[in-house]
Amino acid sequence: MVNETMTLQTEFDLEGFQADWSRLGMVIQPFSIEADPRFMYISTETRRALSKVSYMVEAAQGASIVVGEVGTGKTMLASWFHNRYRRRPDFVPAQIDEPPKKSGLLLLRRIAAEFRLKTRRATEDQLNVLREFLTEQSAKGILPLVIIDEAHELSDDQFENLRRMLNFRDPEGGKAYQFILLGRPELDINLRGVSDFNDRVATRSSLDPLTPDDTRNLIEFRLLAAGRDANSRPLFTPDSIMPVWKETQGYPRRICWFCQHLCLELLDTDGFQIDGDFVEKFLSDYPEYRHAGRSK
Amino acid sequence: MSKKKNAESSKLSKSTLAALLEEKPKRGRPRSDVPRQNVYVALRQEEKDLMKALVKQLPAQVKRADVADLAISALTGRLEALRQAVAGRSREIPEGVIDMESLYLLWDLNLPDSHSAEKWTSIRVSPQQVIELGRAHGALYAAFGASRSQTFSLALSILAQFLEKNLLADQDLTLEETRQILVFNP
Repeated sequence: MVNETMTLQTEFDLEGFQADWSRLGMVIQPFSIEADPRFMYISTETRRALSKVSYMVEAAQGASIVVGEVGTGKTMLASWFHNRYRRRPDFVPAQIDEPPKKSGLLLLRRIAAEFRLKTRRATEDQLNVLREFLTEQSAKGILPLVIIDEAHELSDDQFENLRRMLNFRDPEGGKAYQFILLGRPELDINLRGVSDFNDRVATRSSLDPLTPDDTRNLIEFRLLAAGRDANSRPLFTPDSIMPVWKETQGYPRRICWFCQHLCLELLDTDGFQIDGDFVEKFLSDYPEYRHAGRSK
Repeated sequence: MSKKKNAESSKLSKSTLAALLEEKPKRGRPRSDVPRQNVYVALRQEEKDLMKALVKQLPAQVKRADVADLAISALTGRLEALRQAVAGRSREIPEGVIDMESLYLLWDLNLPDSHSAEKWTSIRVSPQQVIELGRAHGALYAAFGASRSQTFSLALSILAQFLEKNLLADQDLTLEETRQILVFNP
């Protein structure tokens, strides 16, 4: 709900205000909260998740789990994996942004549809189609990869069907479907109830909020990605970072949302730099932004 | 008179010979069967200290001069295991391992302190390990632009982690046996 409010408010502001990003030396808006892999800042925690999960996927170890609170970059990570493995000749990835509710069959049908396979009305038939697909792809040296975002919403029945898919083996190399499940911390709790699947989890990673240093790096990275010259005067001065971090608690999505509004305010006031005083004045002029965007 | 002189000279020569034959503590670099080569790397003070500290965690037959060789063997074993794990794929290094730091994170190694100063130093490495270091450096340079020093730092971290998990100090192992354990149990 909070996220929806954030999006609406952002859209409203951008609609009413034609931002001249070129005045700040950028060609596009730097702090979009859309999951765009071009703007993915890779913090140490993200890097850890990337390396461990990709290792498990490529070593065909089964299922990998990534958990993180709202706005820590799970969807961005899912898109990153999908983008990277889509380009590889030895992988065929399918990304499910939001799994269907409860039904195991519906989830299987959704996975089949993502792989452009026929959908069936019976669970066993659908599993057979997926089994044949695995055998076909394995014969060509291709490994199917299923990326499921919002995996904390999966039901026990759906986990059970994923477990059955993990049991499929191609007759030659013994490779199975690979899964990357991303979700909120509830995912870990839900997995405890499905021990059969839980035992197959090869690696677990968590995405934590950013440190103040990482917050500064994220802001600098985003500005560079939006086209700002690295040698130009810093748009965010060092004393502006701490107030931003305090207001956002280091959650990447909140940082982007807050910085976007700071930039819009800067453009509105014909300024060229955001310093600590600017952030404080912004917060006193618009107290609704104080602690804004927090889900808790 | 001449008898006296002869006795003195024989005493002198005897004592000189005895001194030469006497068992003395050996000084300088320990001798090895195969001559080692100098390899120049930039190391942080912590890494130099680590090299000294690691000797105590190794079997008694393994000397301080062998630490560099063993570190390189440990890295070779680890990289080979990584290659085998992703065998049949179109990359030798997984997609998500995007830089040297990612390798530290993948293997749960302590990240190097990038703020401390490095100093050039020479390490003595056996010919086989020089080749192995060259191969590892080549692979990591091609993937991430890593330097030889960064490659050797990674090797040291792997050896340190291995010795933390596996207590070898009390075991009666030769250098070769220790190396085999490192390479085949990455």
